[in-house]
Amino acid sequence: MDRVAPSLELSGSLGVVGGPPGRPDRDRAVAVASDRSLQSGRQPIRFANHTSYPAKIGDVLQDSVALSPQISQVQVDRLDALYRLTDRLYRARSLSDVFDAALDAVTVTLGCRRASILLFDAAGTMDFVAWRGLSDNYRRAVRGHSPWTPEHHEAQAIYVVDIDDTDESEAVKAAVRGENIRGLAFIPLMAQGLVVGKFMAYYESPRIFADYERDLAITIARQVGFAIERARAEEARRKFEADLRESEERFRLMSEHAPVMIWMSDASGRCLHLNRMLREFWGVADDKVDSFDWRVTMHAEDVDRIGRETWDALLRRAAVQLHGRYRNADGEYRILQTDARPRFSPDGEFLGMLGVNLDVTERERADAQRELLLAELNHRVKNTLAVVQAIAHQTFRGDAARAEAQAFEGRLLALAAAHNHLTQAHWENAALEEIVADTLQSRGDHKERVHVSGGKVLLKPKAAVAIAMALHELGVNALKYGALSNDAGKVELAWMPAGEGGLLRLVWREQGGPEVAAPTRRGFGSLLLQRTLAQDLGGKVDLVYAREGVHCVIDIPAAMVSAF
Amino acid sequence: MNALAGKRILLVEDEAMIAVMVEQMLGELGAEVVGVASNLDQALALCATVVCDAAVLDVNLGGAAVFPAAEVLARRGIPVVFATGYGHSVIGPQHLCHVIEKPYTRDRLARALAAALPSQLLPSP
Repeated sequence: MDRVAPSLELSGSLGVVGGPPGRPDRDRAVAVASDRSLQSGRQPIRFANHTSYPAKIGDVLQDSVALSPQISQVQVDRLDALYRLTDRLYRARSLSDVFDAALDAVTVTLGCRRASILLFDAAGTMDFVAWRGLSDNYRRAVRGHSPWTPEHHEAQAIYVVDIDDTDESEAVKAAVRGENIRGLAFIPLMAQGLVVGKFMAYYESPRIFADYERDLAITIARQVGFAIERARAEEARRKFEADLRESEERFRLMSEHAPVMIWMSDASGRCLHLNRMLREFWGVADDKVDSFDWRVTMHAEDVDRIGRETWDALLRRAAVQLHGRYRNADGEYRILQTDARPRFSPDGEFLGMLGVNLDVTERERADAQRELLLAELNHRVKNTLAVVQAIAHQTFRGDAARAEAQAFEGRLLALAAAHNHLTQAHWENAALEEIVADTLQSRGDHKERVHVSGGKVLLKPKAAVAIAMALHELGVNALKYGALSNDAGKVELAWMPAGEGGLLRLVWREQGGPEVAAPTRRGFGSLLLQRTLAQDLGGKVDLVYAREGVHCVIDIPAAMVSAF
Repeated sequence: MNALAGKRILLVEDEAMIAVMVEQMLGELGAEVVGVASNLDQALALCATVVCDAAVLDVNLGGAAVFPAAEVLARRGIPVVFATGYGHSVIGPQHLCHVIEKPYTRDRLARALAAALPSQLLPSP
């Protein structure tokens, strides 16, 4: 829209500048004449922007315009409208209250029948939020029409004397004329220094705006802008509070219905909140949580320890994990595992602890049961091995079979020893170190002649048994024919990761023993080494009867190793 | 092996085949088996009465633990070697001293018994 920038001095300019020639319209007449009540004030009231106020207008016009008592009443009405606006904005409970009050003030003070308020919506489109006397068609046609964008810091009011005198598009002009509008005022509404919208005044005839009207318009705009800002802040606060309430309620519900026990204590360890599951566990009524003392439910044997750990956590304001027995509502002791964390206010004050209890009674019972079963199984296996040993003992009685009997017993014991290690680790894995120590322990006399080196490696059960048997065979062979069969020989056993893919390499190297000749017959030992290891483990065995001593390299695939 | 020569040993073992083998092992070691029990009742009776230098007790006697019999021997001041398939963890700390795991060799048995028996190098008080 065309900006009618120069402020119109009413003195002698009525009907000359901007407006169409002819008789001043009603509004102008009112504007001019309303000064009657103030005409005795000789000095014009000046404001910072040097706008002249009605006193001056009165001075200027007193000779040329006849003033009537009714007009002075209009002036009073305008002041009254401003007071009323201030009061209503002060009391406004919502944005629509603000708009209502603003439209009343605009129509009365700017002497128009029609007015509207538009605000930028979320998409930045200037849209009608309140109006008087405008058709739907008109609002649709000019919606989004704005001299300003939401980024504007400085926005000046725009006064259009006559829409026909502007550069607006024919479409806009047609819409405005179609609504029987000629004169318009665009007054920006500011909030927090930015344009948030505008209010509009509409006139059926061309309209010239007096300075004091412009000041009134600005005054109304500032008040409304501030009220909008306040109402929006209030709305945001209400929404925030509602969100907070909703979120608190949501968390309360989650806590109430969680399948674990949740509690909250103050800084001294007293109960502030117990969720449904925990109230039911202890049989605490909803309204008795404050006075409930959980400490009396502790098992007598746990009181000292849990009390100490709890106090320590409260004093250090630190997270704590507890494990103990508590008496439930049925008088039964249950094992609860507690995980508690300190709570702090936003400014760092220690508020107490927030904890979760898990009833692990069944789980621990099942664990114990499993332990028992495993121990029982191990016992049976070992007993059976002992029976097998006893049978062999009887079968191979007599000196002729003595060597075979001993070889058999050695293998049986190697197997049993590997089982032992596996049982201790619940048949999950066995440490290679321990298997080696065990196998070499049976030839303890030669300890200083066997050099062992290698890091910590956990073998899977199948590998553990196979390696134990293999090492047993190598050891027995060394003792009978190899490096341990004389006084000078040495054995070196080492393991290390080999190549890519987590392969484990075991190297057995004998030195200093009697000169080695490859055996003429493939005994059980080499069969076990080359067949069992290679086949069962999918590994690779390289057994060389070198002249200086037996040299055996065993590669164990990563799949057979639990951890390096 | 000399340490066991002539020693009187009480054997508690519920597996007959194993009992025979252990008897033979002890015989080979020069010791004398003065009684064999295969259940807890027999064990309690023998432990209370048999005169012996040491006892080899199987921990699990057909589901019953041998410990009451061990208590009887302990009161009589008779040293004990436990033989078990359970491993050390099942036996309480008061019994921790002499435990051998089944199956065991004759040498292992000999070492355990020698360790359990009061040292003969020390003069009696």
